[in-house]
Amino acid sequence: MATRKDPETRWYEERDELFRGLRRLDRRSFLKVATAAAGAALASGVTVYPRSFSMVRVADAAKTGEGFSFAYISDSHLYKRTLNDRFVNALMRAVDDVNALDPQPDFVLYGGDLAQLGQAEELDMGAQILKSLKAPVRMMVGEHDWFLDMGDKWKSLFGQETYSFDHKGVHCVVLMSVNEKDFWTERGMTPVQRMQTVAGLDNGTQSRFEVGEPQREWLKQDLAKVSPDTPIIVFSHSPLYHYYEPWNFWTVDAPEVQAILKRFRTVTVIHGHTHQVLSNRIGNIDFHGMLSTAWPWPYAPQGLPALTVQMNRPDPFDPNDGLGDGVAKVSADGLVDKVYNLWNRNPVQVRSSYLASNGKKDRPAETTLKSF
Amino acid sequence: MAERRTLWTALLLATTLPLLASAASAEQGPHGAMAMAEQQARFATLLPETDVTKPPAGFDPIVWASIVPKDNAQTPERVALGKKLYFDTRLSRDGTVACATCHDVSRGFTDRRNVSEGIDDKLGRRNAPTTLNALFFQTMFLDGRVPTLEDQAKLPPVNPVEMGQPDGAAVVKAIAGDPQYVEMFQKAYGRAPNYDDVGRAIAAFERTFAFLDSPLDRFLAGDPQALSPNAQQGWILFNGKARCVSCHQISGANPLGSDNRFHNIGVSARHQDFEKLATQAQKALEGKEGKGATDVIDKLALETDLSELGRFLVTRNRSDIGSFKTLQLRNIGITAPYMHDGSLQTLWDVMDHYNKGGEANPYLDGGIEPLALSEGEIDQLVELMFAMTDRRFGDDNAREMTRQREAATAKRPFRDEALATRKVFPFEQRLQKEK
Amino acid sequence: MRKIIVLGTTCALGTVVAIALLGARGTAVATDARTAPGSIEVELCDGQTTVQVAQNTPPTPEQGKKIADELMAKWKANNPSTDWIDEEKTRHALLPPADNSDLVGMGQGQTYGLISKEDVLVWQRETLAMVARGSQIFHNGDELGSTVAVSCDMCHPNAANTHPETYPKYQVQLGRTVLLRDMINWCIQHPVRGTKLAEDDPKMRALEAYILSARKGTPLNYGRR
Repeated sequence: MATRKDPETRWYEERDELFRGLRRLDRRSFLKVATAAAGAALASGVTVYPRSFSMVRVADAAKTGEGFSFAYISDSHLYKRTLNDRFVNALMRAVDDVNALDPQPDFVLYGGDLAQLGQAEELDMGAQILKSLKAPVRMMVGEHDWFLDMGDKWKSLFGQETYSFDHKGVHCVVLMSVNEKDFWTERGMTPVQRMQTVAGLDNGTQSRFEVGEPQREWLKQDLAKVSPDTPIIVFSHSPLYHYYEPWNFWTVDAPEVQAILKRFRTVTVIHGHTHQVLSNRIGNIDFHGMLSTAWPWPYAPQGLPALTVQMNRPDPFDPNDGLGDGVAKVSADGLVDKVYNLWNRNPVQVRSSYLASNGKKDRPAETTLKSF
Repeated sequence: MAERRTLWTALLLATTLPLLASAASAEQGPHGAMAMAEQQARFATLLPETDVTKPPAGFDPIVWASIVPKDNAQTPERVALGKKLYFDTRLSRDGTVACATCHDVSRGFTDRRNVSEGIDDKLGRRNAPTTLNALFFQTMFLDGRVPTLEDQAKLPPVNPVEMGQPDGAAVVKAIAGDPQYVEMFQKAYGRAPNYDDVGRAIAAFERTFAFLDSPLDRFLAGDPQALSPNAQQGWILFNGKARCVSCHQISGANPLGSDNRFHNIGVSARHQDFEKLATQAQKALEGKEGKGATDVIDKLALETDLSELGRFLVTRNRSDIGSFKTLQLRNIGITAPYMHDGSLQTLWDVMDHYNKGGEANPYLDGGIEPLALSEGEIDQLVELMFAMTDRRFGDDNAREMTRQREAATAKRPFRDEALATRKVFPFEQRLQKEK
Repeated sequence: MRKIIVLGTTCALGTVVAIALLGARGTAVATDARTAPGSIEVELCDGQTTVQVAQNTPPTPEQGKKIADELMAKWKANNPSTDWIDEEKTRHALLPPADNSDLVGMGQGQTYGLISKEDVLVWQRETLAMVARGSQIFHNGDELGSTVAVSCDMCHPNAANTHPETYPKYQVQLGRTVLLRDMINWCIQHPVRGTKLAEDDPKMRALEAYILSARKGTPLNYGRR
């Protein structure tokens, strides 16, 4: 043990030194230190520190106009509560996290896959739980929500699956990017069988995800009036690029969609489905994945974007490991810094400057226990 | 809120009970410990002279070699010196507190109090871990802030609420006048008495505290009669449904029943201002690094009781908020009360705490889940835990089992069947409270 | 009511059914409780599978084929596919076992004798069958006995991240050195929340087979964490 170095001893000795030093102070100096300590404890207005998970006062990055932030919760895969309580509990923990944010985000994006098998009671329960969120919620659909009844229940609860809105100078688009070419009719599948096929990530019977031509047309129309300087944020369940086809970490017509977005100066895609820390940049577009609250996916055997700094290997003993929720901080220029609030771990921040510099600046905290 | 107040009252009352219980037969020294001379006599019966240079019987010699530091190999002289120091109250400022005051040979090598009492009858914030088998840990203290027994031994003497000396030099001064000490230091380390060697000697003595001969060990070595059928069922639950083994690992090379890691199991969350403290500490980290962060946290410590933040104070990692070291399960029957603040009085309380999934808080270790154990299964696990006590403490163990069983029959303040069987979710309760 | 027993393959079926319908025209209406009034019940040779056909259905070969297809689909739905191995193979991209066709024509003595092409085929298909069975269980929470509808593929799609090549190893979650099957059981007990399988349970053996097959070609590296 003589060879083991220990920084904590030094810390403890310094701490004791501080206490002893303070005891030697006269009363006036002691009060001065005490008030300074109280002041330090209430410190505010500091610039964002990469390792803290807290709401931003957008300081240095902002120029004109306001920045804002939104929170996200994604991929909850709810079963009915009597069947699986773990996923329900996890979604409630995420709602608790978002409600505890101070200050509150402008809105909360729900990233898709609210239900696991698209059942009405799963979707109803999810909607009920999300009602506890204090901030307004924007919903996005995932394949697990859709393929039982092709979106009937989802639309009755949450409205149209594709829409856009403007927020503080940023144009936001929500896509339905998990369309699949019909694979079920020829096989004579029932709706339940169709849903179960889609629910298997590695089930090769299903088709690959796509945005599809009608929606690409809609997107073109929607963006026609938007100037190239307006920042764009695209919310999509599938990644809108090609990562790993066998697991549908893939959007077939991603090149076409990216082409439509090409003329804009600042584009960020926030996507679900991959249940892992995932970052990419293609041309002018930043891509950020969202964490799941239900279970983590492993990193795919190939196709991982080079810019991704992997999250640490999840521990199966901890059903919350590798999961969480998070926040995106949007600067006045529409640049997005993405914060992954990993449960029981230190948060990870992936800054727009990291992606823009192709990985040279502001690298997120390195992986300390890689998957292999 | 009302429940918490009752809890605090119960805890305050519970602090006095162990004191009365332990004052059974022995002569009482200051701060409720058994008199030092009597403790030494009792120690001699527990551990008659053995060859201290060899590893404990059956222990992996390679792992043993990695435990003993190169500059403090075990020798009979060093162990004898450490023994004298361990029981010596002169090491404290007013001459009333020795290591053996809080690590009392007659009380499971701890003090059977919620939190320890030191100099001037001051109370600390944390429960004293037992020194039995402490040599096998990778870090010392509940927050693992030092790596070796040597480092650990040097801190309580200079802690203001424990032994109260201003610094190591004062400790040495207290004993350097004794010619016996001078001779023993010379024989042990070839030097005049100095504070580093005080730590080394005490550590060398503590390295003889290997008490690994419990009924469980005999059972695992192949004697099927060694464990009662209930305890055997408990062992199956321990490795299966009750999920204990994932943090309380027991193996030949790691006999403790601890993974040497730090987990938030929700005990700190019961303290009223835990989450407020955690938020303050997090804010204090913003924009600060290294020494800057250290300074702010230390200054906060003067204003508030940050002790509940546990390992976080050492590492400054957000994931360590409210985490404490997994303590050993060996001799757990005789080292009540339990947890870092001594808030759980009996092993039944401990089982109730785990069974309902700890206490929900945003930093709760994800491995803590409701277990849905039945009363019978809880009894089997408790019986197993009492079977992890070394046979040399058999009488004490039996007494404790009776005492705890009586206390548990009277009340089970942490029991919550609805949470344990997942009829109610902890986060559901939190969300409803907010509404 | 007239029951018409139908035999044979689809093509012949169409004509046969058409002829049979011709023959059935004009007979008494249905009195059997199962059959809706004004319809004919067509039954397959297994004596169980039936479809209802309206009385005035034109007796053309196309109609006959339609009825035959319906019967076939119904029968398939009620009976597990004979192609289950290859269906599972496609569905979950199973890796094939070693080829061994280089051994054809080799061998001597009593056990191995002279290895034939049929031998090699039997070995391949039997091995693949166990792997396919394992894949079925792996991907199905009910087969695993999960009480929370969780299946292995939720954290291990295509058996990713299972690392069978690293066993035996000290498994932290179990606090001791274990084999792959012990970890499978641990996962069944905890994330999957089911009941442990006995070590020689056919399901356990099939799961091990599938997991090992998925890491074909990876060098052994026991102890790696």
